[in-house]
Amino acid sequence: MTDLVTVVPELILSGTAVVLILVARRVRRARSAAPWVVVAAVAAAFSLWAFSPATSMTGFGGTIASDRYARFFSLLFSGNLALAALLSVRHLDSERVQPAEYFALLLLASTGMMFAVAAVDLLILYLGLELMTLCSYVLVGIVRDKPAGNEASIKYFFLGSFASALLLYGIALTYGVTGATDFSAIASTVSRNGVTRHPMLLAGVGLVSGGLAFKIAAVPFHAWAPDVYQGAMAPVAAFLSAGSKAAGLAAFVRVCLVAFAPEQRIWSVMVVALAALSVMTGSLLAISQSRMKRMLAYSSIAHAGYALLGLVPGTPEGASATMTYAFVYAFMTLGAFGVVIALGPRGENLNGYRGLSTTAPGTAAVMFLFLLSLTGIPPTAGFTAKFAVILSAVRAGYIGLAVLAVLCSVVSAFFYLRVAVLMYMTEPQESESARLPVSVVAALAIAAAVTIVGGIFPNTLAVWAIPP
Amino acid sequence: MREYTGIVVAFVLAGAFAAANIILASVLGPKKPSPVKAEPFECGQVPFALPIGRLSVRFYLTAILFILFDVELVFLYPWAVVYRTLGGSGLVEMVVFLAVLMVGFFYAWDNGALEWQ
Repeated sequence: MTDLVTVVPELILSGTAVVLILVARRVRRARSAAPWVVVAAVAAAFSLWAFSPATSMTGFGGTIASDRYARFFSLLFSGNLALAALLSVRHLDSERVQPAEYFALLLLASTGMMFAVAAVDLLILYLGLELMTLCSYVLVGIVRDKPAGNEASIKYFFLGSFASALLLYGIALTYGVTGATDFSAIASTVSRNGVTRHPMLLAGVGLVSGGLAFKIAAVPFHAWAPDVYQGAMAPVAAFLSAGSKAAGLAAFVRVCLVAFAPEQRIWSVMVVALAALSVMTGSLLAISQSRMKRMLAYSSIAHAGYALLGLVPGTPEGASATMTYAFVYAFMTLGAFGVVIALGPRGENLNGYRGLSTTAPGTAAVMFLFLLSLTGIPPTAGFTAKFAVILSAVRAGYIGLAVLAVLCSVVSAFFYLRVAVLMYMTEPQESESARLPVSVVAALAIAAAVTIVGGIFPNTLAVWAIPP
Repeated sequence: MREYTGIVVAFVLAGAFAAANIILASVLGPKKPSPVKAEPFECGQVPFALPIGRLSVRFYLTAILFILFDVELVFLYPWAVVYRTLGGSGLVEMVVFLAVLMVGFFYAWDNGALEWQ
């Protein structure tokens, strides 16, 4: 029974998903199913605090850890799930998506994310990530009569299975050299037997990092992100850009810092390359986008690079900065996607934001807040998080990388603030102001609250972000 | 290597049995060739399309449902082998596993996947 205590939030989410699958035919309106998903997410978040002792514990033969690192990210996933459920209510009814199936997939994907961050064994990590991505493939193509969604789903599936194969091959090679899949056992075997230079192990480290880099959409494993975010329903894109990225980052940090700790010289070079390429490519390609979801996709690629900066030194402080960045980024991207969802079809194109401050001043103000945060301008959470990761890169002596990150941040200000200019300094095209549904307003309020509180009190998150 | 002898024997016996049947049929069997017999065989039906033509999507659904139960059996066999050492907790875990699997089966049934119209 002590094993089950380590997975209480996962049990709550998957149990709710099972119930939703059983009653799938009887649920017609998304409005009646969404509250249960939000309740499940809140219950999972509450159980993180109630059922888990302050110290860390492991279960299931030492393969799943319930430590503060896992709980931090599980809290993020609960929030991500609740916000995604709130944001999707109107979309599901207008696109005629089966609500129960959709929410069951959201719940199961979140369960997979939680397993991926709690895993201290490569096979459980793989299972968690697969559960997450298999649900994501279906979620991306859930609007069956939309060709763009089908195309995105197929692309995501092919590239995703390829990345999973890379990850699995890396796990197999690592097992071949060390004879272990447990993170700490891998590290101790490598340093005890002195096989840090073993070519098979180096290939294993490279393949595992490549597979995980796909999940966080870091360049050169980013090609799927723009098409998938563009083709998927906006709430699904929001869910993926916040949750999938955080799960991948969490797994990446734990694997690098615990399992491959003796290999730091190898993966730190790879992380530097991934971070530099992602920051540059994401920022430069986002400039030429005229569609909002595509722009946010390139922005998510750039943000994957910023988050990886904290991992470069391999220190606990750097990892803590990466964790904070993943948390803050999740809520600001959910907020920005939330505004896109709130505006409906008008929000998909950049031109739809013309003169938004006169037709919908409230929505324009929240969007402005999220754009400031994504750019990294104080007093928002985006600034403090970006400051922390760049600082950790500087402390580790990577001055060039830090300068590059700051320069790309300046470039990114151009395309983020262009939306703000459109909202505040141009004339509106149409003067219709639709009332926002309560659920969307609630989601935007939560995202905005995290963005503001994280910016004004930067230490609130930092004390919770304890690396593995 | 001794423990693999049984597998090798099984391979050889299976191969010999299949080969013997083919050879016996071709040597002993009557041969009355006709145009119908020369046609590609498709479950007794007259082939009306190219082999690479379209296939009804219902076969896909049937295959998925088959996998549902096939995977279940794959897990049941090793469980049955170590059933006594696992004890009561093993039984409970397998019942939970089967219950989750049945949820999927119920979903397919509820949505009319088992009706062949």
